[in-house]
Amino acid sequence: MNIQKINVKFFVAEPSRVALEPFIGIFNSWIQASEGEYYDLADYGHVPSGPGIVLVADEANISLDNTENRLGLLYNRKRPLEGSDTDKLASAVASALAYCRRIEDEPALEGRVRFRGDEAVIAINDRLAAPNNEETLSALRPAIDALAHRLFGTADFTVEKESDSRRRFGVRIRAARPFNTEALLENLQKSVN
Amino acid sequence: MSTTWKDKLGDRIASDLGREIDIFETQIELRKQGKIDERVFAETRLRRGIYGQRYDNGQRHDGQKIQKLKIAAGGLTKGPDTVWDAPGMMRIKVPFGGLNAEQMETLADLSEEYADGISHVTTRQDIQYHFVHIEDTPALMRRLAAVGITTREACGNVVRNVTACPLAGICRDETFDVTPYAKASSKFLLGHPDTQDFGRKFKVAFSGCAQHPCGLTSMHDMGVIARTRSENGTERRGFEFYVGGGLGAVPYKAQLFDEFLPEEELLPTAQAIARVFARLGEKRNRARARIKFLIANLGIEKFRQLVAEERRKLAPDDRWTGYLADTRQDSERPLRAGSALNGQVRPEGFEAWYATNVYRQRQPGYVAATVTLPLGDITADQLRDLAGIARRFVRETVRTTVDQNILLRWVSEADLPELYRALKQIGLADPNAGTIVDVTSCPGTDTCKLGIASSRGLAKELRQRLSEKSFELDQAVKDLRIKVSGCFNSCGQHHVADIGFYGISRNINGYTVPHFQVMLGGKFRDNAGAYGLAIGAVPSKRIPEVVTRVTDRYVAERHKGESFQDFIGRIGKKETKAMLEDLMKVPAHDEAPTFYSDWGDTREFTLTDMGVGECAGEVVSQAQFTLAASEREIFEAQIWFDAGDLQKAAVLAYGAMVRAAEALVRTQNYEASHDQEVIVGEFRRLFCDTQLFYDKYAGSTFADYLFKARDAVRELDGIHKGVALQRLQEAQLFIDAAHSCYNKIAAGAAPAVAPASPVSEARSA
Repeated sequence: MNIQKINVKFFVAEPSRVALEPFIGIFNSWIQASEGEYYDLADYGHVPSGPGIVLVADEANISLDNTENRLGLLYNRKRPLEGSDTDKLASAVASALAYCRRIEDEPALEGRVRFRGDEAVIAINDRLAAPNNEETLSALRPAIDALAHRLFGTADFTVEKESDSRRRFGVRIRAARPFNTEALLENLQKSVN
Repeated sequence: MSTTWKDKLGDRIASDLGREIDIFETQIELRKQGKIDERVFAETRLRRGIYGQRYDNGQRHDGQKIQKLKIAAGGLTKGPDTVWDAPGMMRIKVPFGGLNAEQMETLADLSEEYADGISHVTTRQDIQYHFVHIEDTPALMRRLAAVGITTREACGNVVRNVTACPLAGICRDETFDVTPYAKASSKFLLGHPDTQDFGRKFKVAFSGCAQHPCGLTSMHDMGVIARTRSENGTERRGFEFYVGGGLGAVPYKAQLFDEFLPEEELLPTAQAIARVFARLGEKRNRARARIKFLIANLGIEKFRQLVAEERRKLAPDDRWTGYLADTRQDSERPLRAGSALNGQVRPEGFEAWYATNVYRQRQPGYVAATVTLPLGDITADQLRDLAGIARRFVRETVRTTVDQNILLRWVSEADLPELYRALKQIGLADPNAGTIVDVTSCPGTDTCKLGIASSRGLAKELRQRLSEKSFELDQAVKDLRIKVSGCFNSCGQHHVADIGFYGISRNINGYTVPHFQVMLGGKFRDNAGAYGLAIGAVPSKRIPEVVTRVTDRYVAERHKGESFQDFIGRIGKKETKAMLEDLMKVPAHDEAPTFYSDWGDTREFTLTDMGVGECAGEVVSQAQFTLAASEREIFEAQIWFDAGDLQKAAVLAYGAMVRAAEALVRTQNYEASHDQEVIVGEFRRLFCDTQLFYDKYAGSTFADYLFKARDAVRELDGIHKGVALQRLQEAQLFIDAAHSCYNKIAAGAAPAVAPASPVSEARSA
């Protein structure tokens, strides 16, 4: 299976401490510090359980996403990735985690935002290539398990497929013990080395 | 080989729609090869609903400097100053706002996969996506086509989405249901040859009555209001028929064309109007190219006369009346038996929602429920769930509205508490539909290249503030409407709001400061019966105070039963302006830097991001389009040649030559039929006999290729590869020569034969 358009979401640990509005300024400062990678911002803070604040780019969109009323960082990869399915999943997860770390370190937020590393949602934003069914899960399960092992090491984990068939194919991966984003990034890095 | 959406959905897509999309996909390929001019391609994509978006010129002001965006396009453009890979906007036509559940689900899926997860309902009942890549558009269009939706002619200089009152068929005051007429008009005018050569867009709206605002017919190029007349004891259906309305920078109220146009004359009259507009409308100066200017120049009497002459010339068309037999049947049926709200447990928040969002239908026991969408936005999950609700409570009878909301029709009143709970569960049970809280806005600087100030930012702010105090608002204030446009072009329909705003800027001590022009007293009722009065420019950040001050004074000083329009008229512009005078001042930059940024934007305000808008489309003549079509056909001929079907390749090559000849013929004889033999005959008469199609060095050689191909196309059995290749090469040369000839005509180097009389009459009028 050649999967692309991978979406990865990590959830904010204490969402009640986080407002969306400051992210307009934060993302704008990222634009200022960049060399043209980011195209624009979209503010959907007014939409309940919506995409929140979206930083639009060519390679991937980044958003403080509030889908299902669960605030988190969504990395929405648009440009193709190379390698095996596990490599592509790991690459998208690593990028998502790097953005999580960047937000956690953002001075304007004064440490209020931390992401949970023990839960992630991975979805394939392409219903043609990856319909939301058991066949897709069977085809991708080895890659997902391999990714989970890379992320969580020896910790137990569960993989739960998105049950609503109208929604995109996606899985929710949960580790049996807490992780922070730094540890996950380290684990990913170690597994590559 | 991987499956494509074309493979997967092929048999679900109507053949004409499928062919359209195939053609567009080929045009994308040709543009990438540099074989279609960027202006022609721009208008081509616009006519398929694909718009440019802010920053698609490859640069953006980040608040400190202009940043060059990293967009991988290799110099390729999809229109003048529009980078190929820059994401853009996609507009999807929803005729009369009608949607079914499957369409809603598809729209939801596509918004996720190709856009930013939001479907945006526009002020003309369309759906828009933002940040769409052009390479994704053929797949997107196919998935829409599979559920019966087209994006064709959603933008560009064509007939745009045909809108209609969302209450049509259920309204207590309507004369009759205009839905089937709006549907038939939309179908008839879509892609009609007589609607392809306009200098500007053409908007059509239907209303079932004159007094309510739902249809907004007065601000449309063609506005149609249902009427009946008794003739010999029999009731006849017809329309009060208006033309030449429009907002934009210069608003025009539509003029009465016919006080009773019989129903069977609706489509032929629309066709005749389209032909007059195509022939006489301004083509070069886009600021004066809407039909309202043509009618103003000609006068309504002369315009009527020209349309009548054109009408007499039309060949009868079965489609004019073919649909009428179905107009007497109810277009929709309920899912459940209608019964009254009585005794059901009413959830918290229900009463406020019920008071503003529920409309009692004329059919006993049934109501229509408005789903309020903040700024017209709905997420993919919400839209999918709403589709489920539409299946559960009604027979998928859903319409988008010009207020940027969604209406569920035929709800059994007894189901309302349960419906409310279901909507609340998905965050769609906000009250205040159709009130001052329900602010309408165009995209403005969020995504529009023409936007000056943040209309959505302001609308969001006003919505939030008004929502917080909606319970304490006086009913007279609650009933007012606020509409915001990001610039003077009026996409937010600010002219027809009680309180309207449009974005402008002012230079204050060397700083550019976002402002809004305040417009008061527009009339939403009576189908947008009157336009508002410009009061003055107020800094963007003080607009909420304007709303408070104006509404407070209205509540305090209005006479009993006095409307807001009458109140503003009574106190006068001078006094109204005096009331807001202090709010027009801008504090110094050091004192209040927030005044120098726009709503929802932390950057210091600048106008450098404005671009050239695509609302007006590219003024591309029908001849240029037809020449581009001939290029595509010769490209397809080459593909068949490469695939080994020499006969088909030769037939297509000849067809491409005739198409190129037709492009030229129509510059001289607009009435010529599409028949290949007629075109070739007319080409000989108008271009060969006159030596208009004559190359300085090759003489008549290229024209002779056409005549040779015509003779040869009759005997293609067993055609040899070499001969077929020669046909293709000759066809390409002929098409190139046709381009040269057209360029000479357009530049005035070759005399153009005057078309039929109305053109010369109008130009001298």
